[in-house]
Amino acid sequence: MFMSEVKKPILGTLLALSTVASMALVAGDLKTNVDGAAMYPTKDGQYTSYRVNTQSTKGFSKEARTPTANEIKAWNKDIMPDGTGLPEGKGSVEQGDELYADKCAMCHGDFGAGGKGYPTLSGGQGTLKNQLIDPAKGDEPPTRTIGSYWPYASTLFWYIQSAMPFPNPKSLTNDETYALVAYLLSVNEIQIDGVDLEDEYVLDRAKFLKIKMPNADGFYPNVEKGTDEVRKFLNNHNNYGQGTRCMKDCGETPVVRIKNELKDFHPAPSEAKDLPQVKDAPEMSEGHKLYEATCSACHANAAIGAPVVGDKDVWSALVKNGIPEIYKNAIEGKNAMPPKGGNTSLSDAQIKSIVDYMIKASK
Amino acid sequence: MNKSMENNVGVESDTIATDGRRGFLRGIFVSVAAAGVLSPVKLKADDAAIMEEAEWGVKLGYPTNKQPYGVPSPYEHNNVRRTTELLSSGDMYASVAMSPIQNQEGIITPNGLFFNRSHGGTAIIDPNKYRLMIHGLVEKPIVLTLDQLKRYPSESRIHFIECPANGSTGWRGPQFNNLQFMKGMMSSAEWTGVKLSVLLEDLGVKPEAKWMLAEGSDNSEMGRTIPMEKVMDDAMLVWGQNGEALRPDQGYPIRLLVPGWEGNLNVKWVKRLEFADKPWHAKEETAKYTMLQASGKGIQFFWPMEVNSIITSPCPEKPWTDLKKGDMVEIKGLAWSGQGTIKAVDMSFDGGKNWEEVALKGLVLPKSWTMFSHIIKWEGKPLLLASRAIDDMGNVQPSINQEISKVGVESVYHRNPICTWEVKANGEVNNVHVRG
Repeated sequence: MFMSEVKKPILGTLLALSTVASMALVAGDLKTNVDGAAMYPTKDGQYTSYRVNTQSTKGFSKEARTPTANEIKAWNKDIMPDGTGLPEGKGSVEQGDELYADKCAMCHGDFGAGGKGYPTLSGGQGTLKNQLIDPAKGDEPPTRTIGSYWPYASTLFWYIQSAMPFPNPKSLTNDETYALVAYLLSVNEIQIDGVDLEDEYVLDRAKFLKIKMPNADGFYPNVEKGTDEVRKFLNNHNNYGQGTRCMKDCGETPVVRIKNELKDFHPAPSEAKDLPQVKDAPEMSEGHKLYEATCSACHANAAIGAPVVGDKDVWSALVKNGIPEIYKNAIEGKNAMPPKGGNTSLSDAQIKSIVDYMIKASK
Repeated sequence: MNKSMENNVGVESDTIATDGRRGFLRGIFVSVAAAGVLSPVKLKADDAAIMEEAEWGVKLGYPTNKQPYGVPSPYEHNNVRRTTELLSSGDMYASVAMSPIQNQEGIITPNGLFFNRSHGGTAIIDPNKYRLMIHGLVEKPIVLTLDQLKRYPSESRIHFIECPANGSTGWRGPQFNNLQFMKGMMSSAEWTGVKLSVLLEDLGVKPEAKWMLAEGSDNSEMGRTIPMEKVMDDAMLVWGQNGEALRPDQGYPIRLLVPGWEGNLNVKWVKRLEFADKPWHAKEETAKYTMLQASGKGIQFFWPMEVNSIITSPCPEKPWTDLKKGDMVEIKGLAWSGQGTIKAVDMSFDGGKNWEEVALKGLVLPKSWTMFSHIIKWEGKPLLLASRAIDDMGNVQPSINQEISKVGVESVYHRNPICTWEVKANGEVNNVHVRG
């Protein structure tokens, strides 16, 4: 809030007093936590307004079983910046390029350039100080990508292997993941140990541990030695915007109204209290259900470039070449589309039922 | 008053008794007083809604066995979550459905209207195959089935969950003219589950454990790092949401609850808790959920949702276009803080030049939505209506400029400045920014 120079000192004093007063209310044995939040005690069977059963809760895990070594190995796939959890394996930039073209480019664009609503993966170095305040003055926003923003390559390996490709995650081997990481580092022009990542470059565990991402030092507060720095940062509200409790004559209030209203909402907004128009939804066919689960991420999105279900022109052209041809492409893959849309657990018959649904829904 | 009633009945609007007069009448002629208050409304025609038998009064309703799981009135079909392609990462699997908080009543969101942010669609987990693994720097690593987990002693707590991107649009100016898309990335529930401190007391955390990874079992296998200070204070593993099992959108059968912290940290469909001496730097705490500053550096591990408030009535969807000059009206809203308990709410009618403290209403709980209320007489004159919340840690909700001066315009997350409604003379309500 704008305040005139004259009023500032007075209000500053008032604020200081009111802050002290409010702190006094919570003082006593009330501590603040790492996030600057109040830590309320449980006292006399009460936690703030909640009553609590204060009997001992020890012993509930007495009979709980220990996970086996194999079970922990199966689930403990995370990778830390120091390389904890990083598996052995290797893959070249060239292999990564092929995998990327097959499994990633349909959403993330060629060379990670984005452009289809999905995240951009490359470029943006040198843009992080940009602030888009006034587009009319030519302001550009910062571009946050793997190369410009991500502090650690460990995050990249972990995320790709656990969550990508989007419609078919946890399907990449260790070698494939190394190859994709190598490719993504190369399109971001990141070197390892002073070496450019050319096509034939093979990334393995030892080389991976030498990666230093360009923005590795781009974040604060520092957490390498624990939470002290975060605690200091979060406990001081002036670091991230503290208000003032001015009550009278607090300054000018220039009003900014909406210039370009955003109105793309689904379903369309309405506050009407009326009866809905009844449409009897037909039972979903198996093909329709499987389509929703496996194929719609690409085929319901015009930006991807896959034939969009419901697009009569595109589908009638496809059908002219014969439905067996469509079955074949769906099962074996075509262009950016992987075999069976990436879900190889589907039978050929199931793929055909999906194709039948897609054709029917596009008539 | 709706249009048809206005046409059928007709109301003389200039005869509302003042409080003083009403009090005087009440004091002396109690029975006459009631008539005195009612008498100014002169009927010009009988209301058909009264004079004609209602359809639902002259035939049987639906039988008690028709809806084994009850649903809202069909007339409420517009009270739904809504999406926009602008807030999705390419499709509706990694996207957000906004809660219709313009229709929020009280401090509990109905389970079907709870906002839904997911990173790889909503997983439907078979509870019989659900397993929770707790391992790493604990004396006794364990695997639990759902039934085993639910045997631990439970607590029930009312907390909001808010996505830190709530209100992230429009940092250069207002963009949405509705409450649902301005502030609908939050909801509130009574959650039931076990406190992590209870579980861990049993398992024995090794002294070198400083951080916990919570990982989901969905398509995105989303994981986040939580410091032990929070784990041991009030974090919970919850299975209950407003009296029933969690909804799939909220992580059925188990989600992590970290009261007051970024929605994203309340990991849904959680399958694994690991303890370590260092943080993990997962994708959602490096690439996302970090706040890029004008310096080119990003703030990381910014966990709590700061003190905040919003007037929910009126709002662009709930205007005062049906009010007449002199009508009494209640201004209602929600205040919340992830860092404490709401202590006070101030309201301004002139965009923040002058403020007055207004009443809190209902339950006042830590890290919870708290209702506020103020009754005015509508004079039919334009207002710039704003609310400002204060919590018991002395945090005061900032103005837009106070906040931007600290964190710039490019950090998408943690936007909690004062919101202002422009109420026009005709009762229309618009989203505006006051940038003084």
